[in-house]
Amino acid sequence: MNGNGQQSSNGPMVDAQDVHKYFHGNEVLKGINMRVAKGEVVVLIGASGSGKTTFLRCVNHLEKIDKGRIYVDGELIGYQVTPGGKVVEANEMESARRRSNIGFVFQRFNLFPHLTALQNIIEAPMQVKGVARPEAEARAHELLKKVGLDQKADAYPARLSGGQQQRVAIARALAMNPKLMLFDEPTSALDPELVGEVLRTMQQLAQEGMTMVVVTHEMGFAREVANRVIFLHDGVILEEGSPEQMFNNPQQERTQAFLKAIL
Amino acid sequence: MPIVLATISRALESPPGIWDWDEFRKFLFSRGVLEGVAITIMLSVTAQIAGSLIGLGLYFLRRSRFIVFRGFANFYIWIFRGTPLIVQVVLFWQIFPFLRIGNTLDQAFNFKAQFGLTNEYFVSGLLGALLALALNEGAYMSEIVRAGIDAIDVGQLEAAKSLGMTYGQGMRRIVIPQALRVIVPPLGNEFNSMLKSSSLASAASVLELYQVTLSYGRATGSWITFVVIAIVWYLTLTTIWGFIQARIERRLNLSNIDPGQISKIPWWRRMFGAGIRDTVAPETPEVALPVNDRR
Repeated sequence: MNGNGQQSSNGPMVDAQDVHKYFHGNEVLKGINMRVAKGEVVVLIGASGSGKTTFLRCVNHLEKIDKGRIYVDGELIGYQVTPGGKVVEANEMESARRRSNIGFVFQRFNLFPHLTALQNIIEAPMQVKGVARPEAEARAHELLKKVGLDQKADAYPARLSGGQQQRVAIARALAMNPKLMLFDEPTSALDPELVGEVLRTMQQLAQEGMTMVVVTHEMGFAREVANRVIFLHDGVILEEGSPEQMFNNPQQERTQAFLKAIL
Repeated sequence: MPIVLATISRALESPPGIWDWDEFRKFLFSRGVLEGVAITIMLSVTAQIAGSLIGLGLYFLRRSRFIVFRGFANFYIWIFRGTPLIVQVVLFWQIFPFLRIGNTLDQAFNFKAQFGLTNEYFVSGLLGALLALALNEGAYMSEIVRAGIDAIDVGQLEAAKSLGMTYGQGMRRIVIPQALRVIVPPLGNEFNSMLKSSSLASAASVLELYQVTLSYGRATGSWITFVVIAIVWYLTLTTIWGFIQARIERRLNLSNIDPGQISKIPWWRRMFGAGIRDTVAPETPEVALPVNDRR
């Protein structure tokens, strides 16, 4: 799966160690430790403001972190250690290279509106990896077929429904052959009747063995697809466990209250 | 009413020197006037292209994390927006003689001998006017570029980055192409202005359209005739540009709209920029969202 020819480590896919993050002096992540094994599907739940989206964005270095380290497949994300042992922000090329191994699906899809579905998908492989157009297009058609949208290859995003846009966005992320997929509330911006098609695409991906970290309020999806559910509250991991354990027998009062409110 | 008619008929019979049909017909397409039109077009196009690039450069300086760059950009804009263009034209015209390279420039290009020109520092005037127009335009374009780029959702650059693109790739391939659609309508207005403000190059003795008609007027005393010739040509240029601008805007929007829809808008409305506002489809349907959970 690794398009950059580097050796995959035998360790966890994601290894977050004591991650802290401040926004304007306000501590939103207060020391997150999280390991995600290869092939595992982890669902992050928690109330608005609990830090789950911020954490996900840190894993992709869309946000800087103020303390701690995040490794993805053994590689430090967003930072590098100098020979003197200091941790400094990695240069742009290096950050970009490491990000190219991590797919990110946004709440608001963020498709490129000036490009067709097909062009959205081939853009990064051609620009970043230098894949030749015919090859990139063949792969894009394959991915569009996989998300059930091959007939929409030449449609612009404005002509697609929200669910279709999100499925194209998933195909776009997959085109870079990521080792890890991050989903930031992928169905929150969708009309209720369009949620199912996106969740089915994600479930299929999970069954194929993709490592996934998903922030979502879709508890049905968490129950069915997740290997592990993590409950964040106020910037810390309050409780985690298997879906059965978390939904049927939550230990913490906060978790119970949250699940009661949302289910 | 009778008084008005009498005034007009008297005006039309007025002595040669004020208005002269023969002069008008003779000079409208004369070589001198056409050369002036050519210089006006060349000056405007070059200054607009250079000014747009300067504006883009200023945008990145203003977005720099180094205060020196930001300070320079702000100082630049302060100077060029705070002084009259005609003053800038004269300044840059005279800067070459001041640096003692005015004559060198004239000799290097040898236009004077070639065209039998008599005015000193001809090349200085042309270069100076070009420089002033371009630098001045850059100050205004930076504002337009900024509005265009800032109109694009930050999520676009984030999406580009999440796919492994660098800031530069994301800007070049994703953000700027989208910003262009926002920039083109005000850019068109800027070029319309440029066609007219290029007449200020006359202050640097550049023989563009206005300066040519002015000198004919001075020589013949037939002022109105040559002012009307100038008006006719400026209107021609700005009108042609109006059509070109409408075409460009429609092309840029083709991807967002049904091709069939474009032809439904009458040409006279498209000419005034109706294409964009009337037919652009919403980028993504607005959905009521819970508070955007970024924390």
